[in-house]
Amino acid sequence: MAEVISVSALNRYVKMRLDADDVLFDLALRGEIANFVQNARSGHCYFTLRDDACSVKAVMFRSDAARLAFRPQEGMRVVVRCRATLYERDGAFQLYVNAMFPDGMGAAQLALEQLKEKLAKEGLFDPEHKKPLPAFPQCIGVVTSKTGAALQDIRNVIGRRWPAAKLLLCPVTVQGFEAAQQVADAIRRLDQRRDVDEIIVARGGGSREDLWVFNAEVIARAAFRCKKPLISAIGHEIDYTILDFVADQRAPTPSAAAELAVPDRAEQKRILLELQQNIRKNMQNRLDLCYNGLEQYNYVLEQHLPDRLLQKNAAALQQLQDSIRAQLREKETDASRQLQHAAVLADSLNPYRVLARGYAMMTTEKGKILSEGALQPEQTVYIRSASRRARCRVEAVEELNENT
Amino acid sequence: MKTPKSFEEGMERLNGVLAKMQSEETTLADSVKLYAEAAALMEYCRAALEKTSLQIEEIDAKLAQSAPDSGEED
Repeated sequence: MAEVISVSALNRYVKMRLDADDVLFDLALRGEIANFVQNARSGHCYFTLRDDACSVKAVMFRSDAARLAFRPQEGMRVVVRCRATLYERDGAFQLYVNAMFPDGMGAAQLALEQLKEKLAKEGLFDPEHKKPLPAFPQCIGVVTSKTGAALQDIRNVIGRRWPAAKLLLCPVTVQGFEAAQQVADAIRRLDQRRDVDEIIVARGGGSREDLWVFNAEVIARAAFRCKKPLISAIGHEIDYTILDFVADQRAPTPSAAAELAVPDRAEQKRILLELQQNIRKNMQNRLDLCYNGLEQYNYVLEQHLPDRLLQKNAAALQQLQDSIRAQLREKETDASRQLQHAAVLADSLNPYRVLARGYAMMTTEKGKILSEGALQPEQTVYIRSASRRARCRVEAVEELNENT
Repeated sequence: MKTPKSFEEGMERLNGVLAKMQSEETTLADSVKLYAEAAALMEYCRAALEKTSLQIEEIDAKLAQSAPDSGEED
């Protein structure tokens, strides 16, 4: 009869025997996932790995699960790297998984292509849904790891280009299968904040598997529902993740995303300066134009337009005055000439001049010319010559007959 | 003369005055009146421009103070 031992001793013994086996210590195992659960508190994952006939329990601790690039799902074919041993307390034979990969990247790629096709058909990638980025964002939501280089890169670029912009970080794990839901939630939370103008989802590089999480449908749908412009910056140049297709803008690196997100201060300064100069020039031109317009009026006015009218009138007046004066002068000359004529004529008719030639005339005492008909005998008459007169007495009046 | 409300109104009225002055039908007495009006309008317009010019200079000075000096970079 064998020695009686305790259950604990048995379990310890079996575990020791198993742990001593090099094959069991580091295994690569192919199987299908079943009953996958993650303990909400501890973060450890528990599942069963099975094939057509058998199954084995498996555990993946939080630290290892955090590196998962995909979310293990029921029935998923995977290859795990693990140690097979006994869980002493329950006497349960189980696997301690430290890495898990989809069984064949080909299958994963196929699933990805199918998802991409589905989302494309639904219109998630359509260009008409792409929102323009804000020209001058005041607050930029960033979905990335708190400790990653991506955040630092974004910080540096924005600090240099547009320090006025505020960064609002919604920290997430960017690897492991929890990452997808966290990123999706982070996008939604930032989208709900009124102060956020645009969102950058960034991951600072990594292997293709590391970035696989950004192919998750939840992220794609969250990004599509997001009302704010979203820039994806999943750190790889060659491959596109599904998020890149849904995002409004895709940047190859977090730094490039930051450059897309904000304007450049120096450039804006230059534009502002140019604008200012243009406006100044424009204002000056306008003013000059006004001055020129006024100057034209001034020129016309300085041409003494009313003066000319005045001169014209004055000239007419002068002319009139001149002609009046000329006419007056002519009349005056005429009159004086006539007067002279008359004077000469009058002079020639002077009877005293006749007396001077030796003639005499007969007058009354008072000098009145006596007509010959008035002569009476015994009458006293005066004979007047040039400088003398003689009182005479008429003896007789005789009629002369010249013809006889 | 009624003071114009703006430079533009002043210019428009100047234009009108000038047209009247150039008309053959305008009497000498009227043209002197127009001349006086034109001079007053001109004075107004010139003052308006001077004022604007001064304002521009003031703004320019202010701008120069707050101008983004393109040289400085941190």
